[in-house]
Amino acid sequence: MANVTFPFPFPEHLSALLPEILVAVLAMALLIVDLFVPKERKALTGYLSLATILVAGVALMQVADGTSVTAFYGFFTLDPFAVFSKLLILAGTAIAIIMSLDYIRSEENVGEYFVLMLFAMLGMMLLVSANNFVTMYLGIELMALSIYVLVGYQRDTLRSNEAALKYFILGSLSSGMLLYGITFFYGVTSSLDFKQIGEALAAAPSSEHTAVLLGLVFIIAGLAFKVSMAPFHMWTPDAYEGAPTPITAFMSAAPKVAGFVVFVRIVADALPALEHETVMILSGMAVLTMAVGNLAAIAQRNIKRMLAYSTIGHVGFVTLGLIAGSGSGYAGMLVYLAIYLFMGMGAFAVIVLMRREGIQGELLDDFAGLAKVRPGYALAMGLLLFSLAGIPFLGGFWAKYAVFIAAVQAGHVYLVIYALLFSVVGAFYYIRVVKYMYFDEARVPFDFSENRLMQATVALTAMAVVVLGIYPDPLMELCRQAVIGIG
Amino acid sequence: MLETAFFYMFGGLAVLAATGVVLARNTMYSVMWLIFCFFNAAGLFFMLDAEFLGIILILIYVGAVMVLFIFVIMMLEINTAVLREGFLQYLPTGGLVALVLLIEFVAASRSGAFSQGAKATAEHFGREVNNTVEIGKLLYTKYLLGFEVAAVILLVALVGAIVLTLRARKDAKYQNISAQVRVRKEDRVRKVRL
Repeated sequence: MANVTFPFPFPEHLSALLPEILVAVLAMALLIVDLFVPKERKALTGYLSLATILVAGVALMQVADGTSVTAFYGFFTLDPFAVFSKLLILAGTAIAIIMSLDYIRSEENVGEYFVLMLFAMLGMMLLVSANNFVTMYLGIELMALSIYVLVGYQRDTLRSNEAALKYFILGSLSSGMLLYGITFFYGVTSSLDFKQIGEALAAAPSSEHTAVLLGLVFIIAGLAFKVSMAPFHMWTPDAYEGAPTPITAFMSAAPKVAGFVVFVRIVADALPALEHETVMILSGMAVLTMAVGNLAAIAQRNIKRMLAYSTIGHVGFVTLGLIAGSGSGYAGMLVYLAIYLFMGMGAFAVIVLMRREGIQGELLDDFAGLAKVRPGYALAMGLLLFSLAGIPFLGGFWAKYAVFIAAVQAGHVYLVIYALLFSVVGAFYYIRVVKYMYFDEARVPFDFSENRLMQATVALTAMAVVVLGIYPDPLMELCRQAVIGIG
Repeated sequence: MLETAFFYMFGGLAVLAATGVVLARNTMYSVMWLIFCFFNAAGLFFMLDAEFLGIILILIYVGAVMVLFIFVIMMLEINTAVLREGFLQYLPTGGLVALVLLIEFVAASRSGAFSQGAKATAEHFGREVNNTVEIGKLLYTKYLLGFEVAAVILLVALVGAIVLTLRARKDAKYQNISAQVRVRKEDRVRKVRL
């Protein structure tokens, strides 16, 4: 803490925060505008929040110039890495809002629902720009607090309440651990800035690393909770099952992007001196995560729970990129997260479509015989599931390919063989759903209400998966460009 | 010497109070122990010449947050006996984790890693520094971004709390005042022929 002299200089590069400032201001304005929107036309708030995301996206492209800028006295970084992940987060939030437009109509207080999603997005945008524990922690809290409320939005549903409460209590615990870990780093290095911590640790004698190691464990535990890495994944299936399905889709994609990006920043900037220990802890967790995610998914009859465990499995695969480290590893993670955003959210969008009179459409049985009634839905779901399984020449294959190759190059051959084994296990439960759709007789009636927006979302995500499967090079190149200068 | 004695007094009492929070049978006693714990933590802050943090801890946590806690507990009427079921069952695992953590903390604090940071802080702040002024200066200049984001977090907490609790319940009965005022004699009074 330096003595402050006045007049204090005006924050430099303030324009780098333009997208965040716009989102914050517009979200607050929307909170007021929503009061004047009549109850039966609340979708208007949803459209306005989509417009907000569009504005933020345009602003982001305006301020992004391919260089790395540190703004606000070193508390905020805008580099290509942050820009790319912010675009992913904006896209994920936009898809989730489109999914919600019709889904949430029956609830009360609909306007705030969209505003809370915008605030969660704001938290994630700050999170991916964090180069400092202060910004990181505040970003995580803003994101998490908004999502706790969104998970419990269907207040009259017991399942939703239970999910929100579990998520909130475990989330608070993990935030506490994270904070506690940060205090160790601050105590040893007297700094909260990732890069400065990295320098101080490199200079410090290795005898002082004991205390830092303890802090490291706490920080990894806290962050692992946010990206649902085993053994900190317990909340995931319950929260995913109980949350409104669009929120489940949102949670499975966007916060994972933000969490992993900040994970990369910490590992690359603050922990190079402890690389060996970090890799060891992360490898153990990755091994556990892949096993838990893929094995537990097999036993699920509820498809939301199944996809929750599948998310955990995918998190394990993404962790391989984190372990592989600088350059191709981080680029592989971005490729994975980008492709997962489309295929994961697409699969949840199909579940929203399956909701019909009196049936949530969440059980495997509800999908039986879908191909005969709705060949389009079945085809899209089939493509998305095959992609999630990593079948060649769909997007998901290239996601796995990028991460696995990076891990092999970094010398983690056994980990990759292990991961390949579990992708085969994973393929089983994805393809089982396809079997239900194409080869089984319908057990429950199909009388869908038409929902053009959802159908468009599903079609777009399925198309994205196919296009990225055939032609993945531009995305891969983009991700390679984005991580230059990281680590 | 005296300072060390005071440190152990505040520190020891804080640990004792924290144990009390967990072990107290009555939730209200837990809150009282927590208040006691906060006072001791405030004492530790005073010893570090961080009088602002000490006062804030008492004013806000004891004065506001804990009062709210007490209100909530009195309104909820929690059956603590149910909450305590399985305590003995989890005790071995929990105790083992706590023991391992304790050993790790001792190892970490004996490694001498914290001396550097502590020394820097002590040298930097003389006794003359008014830390209310210093914190104010830093909060509204260097840490402005964090300050603003914290404000947004508070807004979200506010909106979230209202969203989750403010609902028109369909099964609740409401008073329709205009209907009550408009009521006429014929609506209520019936002449009964005996």
